[in-house]
Amino acid sequence: MMEGPVKKILLFVDGSEGCIAAAQYAITLSRTMGAELWALYVVNVSLLKELVKAKIFVRIEEMDYEQDLEQDGKRYLNYISELARIKGVEIKTELIKGVVNREVVERIGQWGIDLLVMGELEPVRSRTDTYHDEAELIFRKAKCSVLVVKDVDQVERIYNALESN
Amino acid sequence: MRLSGLLSEETIIISLSDKDKQSVIEELLELAMKTGKITNRETALKAVMDREQLMSTGLEKGVAVPHAKSSAASELTMSLGISKEGIDFESADGKPSHLFFFILAPEAAAGPNVQVLAQIARLTSDPEFCQALKSASSPMEVLEIIRDAE
Repeated sequence: MMEGPVKKILLFVDGSEGCIAAAQYAITLSRTMGAELWALYVVNVSLLKELVKAKIFVRIEEMDYEQDLEQDGKRYLNYISELARIKGVEIKTELIKGVVNREVVERIGQWGIDLLVMGELEPVRSRTDTYHDEAELIFRKAKCSVLVVKDVDQVERIYNALESN
Repeated sequence: MRLSGLLSEETIIISLSDKDKQSVIEELLELAMKTGKITNRETALKAVMDREQLMSTGLEKGVAVPHAKSSAASELTMSLGISKEGIDFESADGKPSHLFFFILAPEAAAGPNVQVLAQIARLTSDPEFCQALKSASSPMEVLEIIRDAE
């Protein structure tokens, strides 16, 4: 059998509604293409530091929110792992802390990813949107092909139609 | 996460009537309660006042961001108060506060909460934006200023 064009898929998990649809699509692609699947959640500690610098957060709050974000990330990764397990797809998950777009772009290189899958981007209304939206930055900076998953209902149908394990 | 999506004409007041910190917070809480997303006034108020005990959320340059997370919020909730004269909010620079961004978040909404607070920090770092809000003559105008800035 001819080897598929995609060998390693990275799913970007950010806790948005769209990232679950992206997960379903990535699982479907991994299964049908026989590609390795990774899921990555980055705790946005740079944003927390921005809030401390702006004096909106005190240090104890920063630590508290960092824990909350970490718990959120774990919850999402566990849920996505379960979605993959149901369909008999092996998934490697990783939760790290840092500047979101930088960490994702670095992992793409380190892990030899050839397709990044992510949820739908927020509509851009200003230049500051483009500067601060992590998903937008990842979309622009990623060195591999990027698949932005749209039409949540259709993706759910595709995922559901995939034979369970 | 957009502030304009969290605010409405009924959760904005352009002339805060209260003059001390606790009363201002209570006035902002009353506004936020109009959204129907705050289930218990006393629990919400305690969460915000407890946060103020850690350190005042009165920042510099006339901006204050009283905030907390609380089980009393079913969703991320926001209100905005403006005082043209300024109110002593124990601010970091000792000057009166004019713009009050009130945020109450559920316990499990850290991501959106952090994004909203960061958006407030970014927008209020622009003195022209702050001046425009202070000069606004109606809640509708406040919303338009925020929409344009976002």
